[in-house]
Amino acid sequence: MELKTETRGNTLVLTISGSLDALTAPELSDALSTQLRDGNTNLVADLSQLEYTSSAGLRVMLNGVKEARQKGGDLRLAAIQPNVKKVLDLSGFMSIMKAFPDVDGAVASFA
Amino acid sequence: MSNQQTRVALVIGAGSVKCAAAIGLQKVLQREGIEIGMVVGASGGSLYAALIAMGASPEQAAAQSAHLWTRGVTAKRNGRALWQILLPNVFGFDASFGTVDDTILMQQLRAVYGDAKIEDAKIPLYLTATDFENGAQVVLTQGSLVDALRGSLAMPYIFQAHRVDGRLLVDGYLTDPMPVGVAIKENANVILAMGFESPYQGTINALLRYTFQISSIMSNNLLRANYAFHALVHHGEVLPILPQFEQRIGAFDTDKIPYIVQAGERAAEQQLPYLKKLLAGS
Repeated sequence: MELKTETRGNTLVLTISGSLDALTAPELSDALSTQLRDGNTNLVADLSQLEYTSSAGLRVMLNGVKEARQKGGDLRLAAIQPNVKKVLDLSGFMSIMKAFPDVDGAVASFA
Repeated sequence: MSNQQTRVALVIGAGSVKCAAAIGLQKVLQREGIEIGMVVGASGGSLYAALIAMGASPEQAAAQSAHLWTRGVTAKRNGRALWQILLPNVFGFDASFGTVDDTILMQQLRAVYGDAKIEDAKIPLYLTATDFENGAQVVLTQGSLVDALRGSLAMPYIFQAHRVDGRLLVDGYLTDPMPVGVAIKENANVILAMGFESPYQGTINALLRYTFQISSIMSNNLLRANYAFHALVHHGEVLPILPQFEQRIGAFDTDKIPYIVQAGERAAEQQLPYLKKLLAGS
């Protein structure tokens, strides 16, 4: 997994590439904790290059969205690829998280 | 996650003949030398869970299941059922209702498994059913394999509930269409969860189709809700193995088993790189 961050206005975009699984999820967990601790609570996960997520990845996303909302922000999803969307659908995440077709739309939703 | 600590569970959810996709997964695991530590099955998944756990090779499993689960198992109607619906006060309506006589199904199951017991399985086997009287999940781990399968396969409205050890059992999908929780409870670290959404009816032109549509809506939502809960509470990994079918597959389309097995293989191959890394602890 590769993780990149970019600040766009009042929003932080995390681009997550590759595989989000038990071996890589701790890195995303640490990154989310750091950003939230630093006050970046409007978060967009750019999933355009995320090929796979396992249950470990889901757990990190859930913790992220819960903590962001507790702090008054949100973690929103953008550009979900079909393989990942299947897992997010099956696990009910699409019913609790806001998702957008692209990053621009997700960033704009925080305006 | 080292090999010594890792216990791989194969969970095969409800899905009628589509569950044959588990044979494709079995083939991939065998080829890669990945040992299965336990097998869990619900409803149609129970048939394949039992075949795999009892030691059938992928080829044997495909051949045996093609004989086990044919349209013929529903060929003998329960003549009393229609009268029970129309005149319940005359013919009596009770928990034993079912539109199909299970004689043929029982014959097919006995032909394959005879007097085998669940505890005879080479890989620990867990079959799920539902207690008709209180709705609780029942996990069958010992006793007659034929009776356990019959209980797990007791599709509501079609087959009568089946009494096992004093409990009246109906289909395992009613409590959990993909019983990942059983593998979690039995301490599996890596759970390969093969599940199938129930198909929606193209046309609603009969009471039974209407009933199946309601059943599909409820069971698909139950599948997602249970999967979400189990994926989030498990300490290890739950890897969903979700075969994709381009063609529509009917409940008894055993002629499509080779195609279904291939779909299972493809779905397994998608998870394989990560599964191997996970088991290697890299």
